[in-house]
Amino acid sequence: MNAPAASALPARREGLWSKALHKFSRDRAGLISLVIVLLYTIVALGVWAGLWATEWADVTGTKWMPVSSEYWFGTNLIGQDIFQRTLYSTRTAFEVGLVVAVLATAVGALLGAVAGFFSGSWIDEIALWLMGVLDSIPFYLFVAAIAFALQDNPYAMHVAMISTFWTTVARLVRGEVIKLKSLEYVEAAHAIGVPEITIIFRHILPNTFHILLVQGTITFVAAIKSEVILSFLGLGVKDGMSWGLMIAESTLEVMAGFFNNFLAASVFLFVLVMAFNMFSDALQDALDPKKV
Amino acid sequence: METLQYILRKLLTGIPLLLGVTFISFLLMVYFGPDKTYELLGKSATPEQIEEVRHQLGYDRPFIARYGQYLKELATMDFGHSDSTGEPVSGLLSRTIPISLALITPGFVLGNLIAVLLALVAAYHRSSWVDRFIMGFSVVGMSISFLIAIIGFQILLSSSYGLNMFPVRGWNMSTVGNYLSYVTVPTLATVFVSLGYNTRFYRAVIVEEMTRDHVRTARAFGIPPARIFYKNILKNSMIPIITRVIFSIPLVVISGSLLIESYFGIPGVGKVTFDAITTGDQPVLKAVVGLTAVLFVLAQLLTDILYRAVDPRVTLK
Repeated sequence: MNAPAASALPARREGLWSKALHKFSRDRAGLISLVIVLLYTIVALGVWAGLWATEWADVTGTKWMPVSSEYWFGTNLIGQDIFQRTLYSTRTAFEVGLVVAVLATAVGALLGAVAGFFSGSWIDEIALWLMGVLDSIPFYLFVAAIAFALQDNPYAMHVAMISTFWTTVARLVRGEVIKLKSLEYVEAAHAIGVPEITIIFRHILPNTFHILLVQGTITFVAAIKSEVILSFLGLGVKDGMSWGLMIAESTLEVMAGFFNNFLAASVFLFVLVMAFNMFSDALQDALDPKKV
Repeated sequence: METLQYILRKLLTGIPLLLGVTFISFLLMVYFGPDKTYELLGKSATPEQIEEVRHQLGYDRPFIARYGQYLKELATMDFGHSDSTGEPVSGLLSRTIPISLALITPGFVLGNLIAVLLALVAAYHRSSWVDRFIMGFSVVGMSISFLIAIIGFQILLSSSYGLNMFPVRGWNMSTVGNYLSYVTVPTLATVFVSLGYNTRFYRAVIVEEMTRDHVRTARAFGIPPARIFYKNILKNSMIPIITRVIFSIPLVVISGSLLIESYFGIPGVGKVTFDAITTGDQPVLKAVVGLTAVLFVLAQLLTDILYRAVDPRVTLK
């Protein structure tokens, strides 16, 4: 595409994204939360690359050692380093959060866009029925059932979360697509004979991207929080370490007055979820002019 | 008469949902679910005994027949006997559901009521420090895991490291005093966690209604603020609020109490469900899933009828 003549350009380009970036860069809480999320990401990447928290499963100390320069958060009931276990759990949280957020958003976008584009037809009816059905099955029962049907596959929890979380995204995308499809540019595309599939995926779906971005962050938070509860109940992470498993193992310790394990897991979880929630808010503020 | 017709028609449209929910859960929980044959038999069972148990459990019948049997059980509300304890499922549920309701109701009511009040206060002081404080508080509430809130309140209120005022775990409803002492800690945790999400949602709804043109016009005409608040703002906000409250009921009864009950060892329907999950007690699971789906259909019906009560433009067609 040729750049139009310089004189034809407005003084500053005002697109959705440049405006959003500008607004976001002035949002102090949003920027701080982004920095915190990035720090967690670095921790998770470091664990993944094997840079730190490599001895999370080793018994290196003795029972319930206090905080020291060697054991930053002390040791747990059997003498494992709580700090390393906390860092390692960050990786688990990110892995669950990213896989679930990306796939649930993608499935929701796809089915929501198709349902919205063909709204009122049988395709839409089926999609709406499926969303209603999945929303009506109790979540924990669903996870347990999928875990069993997949024969204790470690990804059963992910599959269960993706199959329930996509419905929220799909409902929002469906609503937006119904709005977008009656706009003139879509009518114009129809008139010049653009195939429907191209209209949905090239002309309409990209215009819902701001919804997908915000919903992606919300799903990420929901996935991390659900993982902790599921792992605590014994329905989530089986091999490996997660904040939920740390809290599960800490319930014995808490009653005996040793709080390190519980505090480490809950503070790390709280700060990440809080930062992500604030980041998600700032993103919504920046992208949605109507948000109050 | 018209309303009755509407209710019947609405119940009919709920049938596809019921079929979907029961079909998916039947497929997952029963068809691909745990095989209990060898648990019920001792070691060294003869092939005839195995055959006998499989016949008793219905494993030897085709899928459609077993699913049809489930639908029949749901229609007659007769789910047979629990695999684990041998107790009739209907008796099990009628014993445990009241406990769960007694446990959940205070937290659910307070969590929504306080949230609406906070949301009103925040919306009326929009962008001031009051609003920012309430919203900051609700983001904190949203960020604390339910699990951590439960354990945190337990440490603070029920252990010797805190106030040590309430029982650590268990359940007793024999007197009002006992009930209050056992219900307080779970209720506080529930309210604390649900306030965050609820307040945010309700504030957004109320602010949207407050900024509508007809509210501004009413103000310009000098209508007293209390009247504007009641007629133009509160009544219009009721539709999304009612929807949220009613649709959260079916899942709150099961999923919400599952974590609390299994943590505090309270013998409610959530605990029964959790045990049924871990032991693969299919009659109980089938009953719980089926009843939740029925509750969802009823919730849909109830919201439609309540819409009519708050908004006369809505017709039941």
